[in-house]
Amino acid sequence: MSETESLVTRLPNDIGGLPAGPIQRVDHELAPWEKCCHALADVLDFHKIINTEEKRCGVEALGAEMIGKLTYYERWIVAFANILFRKGILTPGELARKMDEVQARWPAGVNDEPAGRP
Amino acid sequence: MHDSSREAPDGQVGIVLAWGEVPVFRPGDPVRILTRYPVGHYRVPIYLRGKRGMVEAVVEPAGIDNEEEGYGRNAGIKLHYYRIAIPMTEIWSDYQGSHRGGLRVEVCETWLERI
Amino acid sequence: MRRRQHGHDGTHEHAHPEISESERLGYFEIMETAVRELLIEKRLIGADEIRRQIEVLDSRTPALGAKVVARAWADPDFRARLLANGRSACEELGISFYDDTSLIVLENTEKVHNLIVCTLCSCYPRPVLGLPPDWYKLKPYRARAVSEPRSVLAEFGTVIPDEVEVRVSDSTAMVRYLVLPRRPEGTEDYSEQQLAALVTRDTMIGVALAAIGTGRTGL
Repeated sequence: MSETESLVTRLPNDIGGLPAGPIQRVDHELAPWEKCCHALADVLDFHKIINTEEKRCGVEALGAEMIGKLTYYERWIVAFANILFRKGILTPGELARKMDEVQARWPAGVNDEPAGRP
Repeated sequence: MHDSSREAPDGQVGIVLAWGEVPVFRPGDPVRILTRYPVGHYRVPIYLRGKRGMVEAVVEPAGIDNEEEGYGRNAGIKLHYYRIAIPMTEIWSDYQGSHRGGLRVEVCETWLERI
Repeated sequence: MRRRQHGHDGTHEHAHPEISESERLGYFEIMETAVRELLIEKRLIGADEIRRQIEVLDSRTPALGAKVVARAWADPDFRARLLANGRSACEELGISFYDDTSLIVLENTEKVHNLIVCTLCSCYPRPVLGLPPDWYKLKPYRARAVSEPRSVLAEFGTVIPDEVEVRVSDSTAMVRYLVLPRRPEGTEDYSEQQLAALVTRDTMIGVALAAIGTGRTGL
């Protein structure tokens, strides 16, 4: 199989049996927004707005670079946004305006730099 | 042609079963996981493609094909998944350590062939 | 930039994609809030549903799994029902399967040691163990557990004798797995509660063995 063919047919999350380093026995307590994101995923599945399989598929569709660099729940929320756009449930403009609104709620000092990637 | 998949397993006469209600494979059946390379979404890891194993159990209840579910199909014909037993030496030719090593995985019947 | 403290493992220095980093939290937190609020405004989901689901998640911890294991050790009839149908036996103890998954309980014996993994994502018996630890979701465990399980186990300090089969279950669809560890010797007189205290999360994933003195403290 050619390299480009393999890029298309092997999902970036399909890593069983690939070479990898030693086990890192790491864990962290979920941040409140991460737990909220998990609860959101469950509720979206209960209503079949985004079922579990669509969530998996949506994360895979982010591609190898985002899968490698975003954290677990960062991948989820970006995947949800993309799926909701595709389904016509949300529009990108609507989400951008709401994100501005949410950011504006934060008291000065707590968030005195622009949010986003450094 | 006689089609046993239409009949209830306990031999009840006259009861026609829906598609997918009767599992295609039974425990003990030797099977091979198909070698195919779908794009977009799948749930059969590449390291298991083409590997031979045995049906250990039928997973109940049947479920929707998860490759279709991945694109928002929340309904449709349900198919059976099977718990497949595969020796580690079948998967990894250079498997280290004891030969007594095995893998178990759930595979949808669309991905299995009888051998 | 908003900063948050996280319970980082102090032995782990380099950046890690599974672990939230405070520098990057703000943007995605805002996105999560915005998506959730828009869906609530459109009446597609309810704020009360999210609050309830957070309570559901908080109520699921490895202590539930430990209770199941201890009951199976103490009650042979329950053990038989648990091995026949993991979900319905857990439901007997009030543990609901809110994610509508099935549960297969894998019994460790003197001949077989079971290990669970999800190579494709992070499938885990959440109703009965809570959310998985980060290492379970990271590449080294997911990639290697299926190809060199004995080496992986050794890195957890777990050595399985050669004559024992190591059997790995890779979760891919709607079935989840829970390992029923072997009951340690010398626990014949233990109460169910004392037994449960010996059962850690890692023993139910299969990367550790239940033993006297290595269980959870404070019980």
